[in-house]
Amino acid sequence: MATLEPRTPDAHVLIVGGGGTGGALALDLSLRGVKVTLVERGEFTSGTTGRHHGLLHSGARYAVDDQESAVECIEENRILRRICPGSFEENDGLFVAITDEDMAYYDDFVTGCAQTGIPTHELTPSEALALEPNLNPGLKAAVRVPDATMDAMRMPLRFFASAQRAGADLRNYMEVLDLLVHDRAVAGAVVRDHVTGKEGEIRADVVVNATGPWSEQLAKMAGVDVPVRPSPGVMLALRGRLCNMVVNRLHHSGDGDIVVPQRALSIVGTSSWTVDDPDDLDVPDDHVRRMYEEGAKLIPAVGRAEFRAAWSAARPLIGPREADSGRELSRTFKTYDHRETDGIEGFVTITGGKGTTLRGMAELSADVICRKLGIAAECRTRDTVLLPHTALYAA
Amino acid sequence: MNDSAAGAPGREARQERGPVQRKGFGLAPTGWVDPRGRTLGAWAFAGNRITGLGLVFYLYLHLGVLTTLLWGAHAWGRFLGVATTFVFLGLDVVLLFGLLYHGLNGVRVLLVGTGLVPHRERALWWAGAVIGTIVLLGGALHILGSRS
Amino acid sequence: MPNDVEERDRAPASAETRRFRVFRFKRGDERPHTDDFDVPVGPRTTVFEALRWIQLHRDRTLALRHSCLHASCGTCGLRVNGREVLACVTGVRDLGREISVEPIANIPVLTDLVVDMREFYARFPDEHPILRHSEFLEDASPHGATEEHVRLEDCIECGLCLSACPVVVTSERYVGPAALAFAQRVVEEPRGAETVNLLTWADDPDGAWRCHAIFECTAACPSNVDPAARIMALRGTLLGRRLRAERTERA
Repeated sequence: MATLEPRTPDAHVLIVGGGGTGGALALDLSLRGVKVTLVERGEFTSGTTGRHHGLLHSGARYAVDDQESAVECIEENRILRRICPGSFEENDGLFVAITDEDMAYYDDFVTGCAQTGIPTHELTPSEALALEPNLNPGLKAAVRVPDATMDAMRMPLRFFASAQRAGADLRNYMEVLDLLVHDRAVAGAVVRDHVTGKEGEIRADVVVNATGPWSEQLAKMAGVDVPVRPSPGVMLALRGRLCNMVVNRLHHSGDGDIVVPQRALSIVGTSSWTVDDPDDLDVPDDHVRRMYEEGAKLIPAVGRAEFRAAWSAARPLIGPREADSGRELSRTFKTYDHRETDGIEGFVTITGGKGTTLRGMAELSADVICRKLGIAAECRTRDTVLLPHTALYAA
Repeated sequence: MNDSAAGAPGREARQERGPVQRKGFGLAPTGWVDPRGRTLGAWAFAGNRITGLGLVFYLYLHLGVLTTLLWGAHAWGRFLGVATTFVFLGLDVVLLFGLLYHGLNGVRVLLVGTGLVPHRERALWWAGAVIGTIVLLGGALHILGSRS
Repeated sequence: MPNDVEERDRAPASAETRRFRVFRFKRGDERPHTDDFDVPVGPRTTVFEALRWIQLHRDRTLALRHSCLHASCGTCGLRVNGREVLACVTGVRDLGREISVEPIANIPVLTDLVVDMREFYARFPDEHPILRHSEFLEDASPHGATEEHVRLEDCIECGLCLSACPVVVTSERYVGPAALAFAQRVVEEPRGAETVNLLTWADDPDGAWRCHAIFECTAACPSNVDPAARIMALRGTLLGRRLRAERTERA
């Protein structure tokens, strides 16, 4: 197991964006001996990361249409359970077929899971109802998969806590106003510290764009473009834990096809559209209604449950600008070294991905960044058990 | 390569302990004198403290009154004259209320605070209120009726 | 489908406005002050949405703490009109013409509406397990005879209980409702944890005995923790422990 002692700093990397990706990257680089500063304009995970329903993906959702994603998910699923023990409700998940159309997808689904290495267990309707009594009694079949549930903020916070212990300087409430660009090279950033209200500069050898759906906004400050579309979706929280396992609809991706238990709430998600500005998102009424309708097809009690909250979260989806629904875009993550793509030194964008793949995204990006810096250091995050999230707040 | 210079500004400012806000109107840290958003438990507690102070005050008053006995039957008689007026008897009813409130709420706090009945604090309060009201009414009639 | 997204929830120009009186403080200020903002609101606008609007359209320097937007992360705790609430699930509609927004009490302010949670967590004992048996749907049969369904603990570490407690202001060292409720949960369901040290930790004048049974914490808690009842139950356990120890001593 790797220890978490800080090593002698060589170069300085400034990570912009304090979501799961930024936090995981801060840890990965710190463990490789790189001096890291991370700035986040709000609270850590206040962008996209904190808003998701807390699903630890088995990858089964992508087993047919996006097998690259599925393989990434199941691998990271296993790693996260190992390095973040005690952070997951490890109750597994179900993919439930309700209609004949769903059943037509069944064989492809099971085959796809087998191809991508996702363990499955096929269940009869009565077996499924014994596991989850609130399921739609008219269900036709169910498949059990290794989904799990997490606290969408507190699990990533373990990466922050560990990164801090390993020497990273983590600054929330610090907003990047502009990037320092000189001679086709990014030299750092101009920041405003919302704690003091004052502005200042941070210089770095490499600036990393880990801002998720804000990637394009930040990239523009360096004069480059990244093909990231903010793609919001609505989620609905209802009072009552209507299921202990994650319940998914067994079909191609669609709206409202998942119910995730979270403590004493049930979260129904999600929908999808694209916008230009990831701030100031709507929560359209008709999307909320659709969550109730689709969720009730899986668990009828959803239709009667008491409302707790409805909100939108913008996911960063990579793809050409023409695609508008957001769902066809690939969900894999990508790292752009802007020296190669745009001739700009010292600037790397990491984007795309899902909450489950934060560690894997960080490993990939840290490899790229270390190569740029001429540092030969191996990734150590696969086997480093993380500190509890409370360690972040230790004085 | 640019040289990796100083990190982010404002580190010392973040380490300082910021101002601690207390419950109170506006910005004044007036401690717990803030009635906004208070619930039954808080009012019960406040009532307990106020009646407690009232009873202590009464105790000293009572001791003071008793010392008139030192000056003989005549002085005591004069006091009794005052003590049987309607106003004074009315204050006796107030005293009875204070005793009942403090006593019954005290029993509630005892039952709840030792973990014997931890989940029933509101039910206990209302039970005490009912019992207390009945005894108070009976007591008030008796005290005020004793004038005749 | 996505292309016909309706914008009924976006407040139109002629919508109702409410005045928000917002607490402001930056490090280096001599003292805090308040700023007034007139915010357009709709029938379902939450306090978070209103504050976010201020941050995006009026004052980008307003510091705001939030993450999950559905009462699961506990970061958006505030005092709105003096009451402890989570901003993301508090509707503006019933709050009145003028709405005061302050950070939660009894924890040092970091900036504006954000408190420095280090002093909140400093009150907790060292170990902090957050998984528990799921008491929901207990009739369902989990995966095998010996396995159970688990879930995360109710406490979302929001600090509203600590803010609402009138006793905290009288004793800086009082560990507070959240920490005590957490300890009681571990005693109630140890899951292999060592409970003796926790009971000793709680058996302190500034532990379970500092509580005055006021129950403001339970009223403020947005997540069904019921800290006051748990503190009382903890006291019951401690009393039993003391009485047993006394009996053994005398024997």
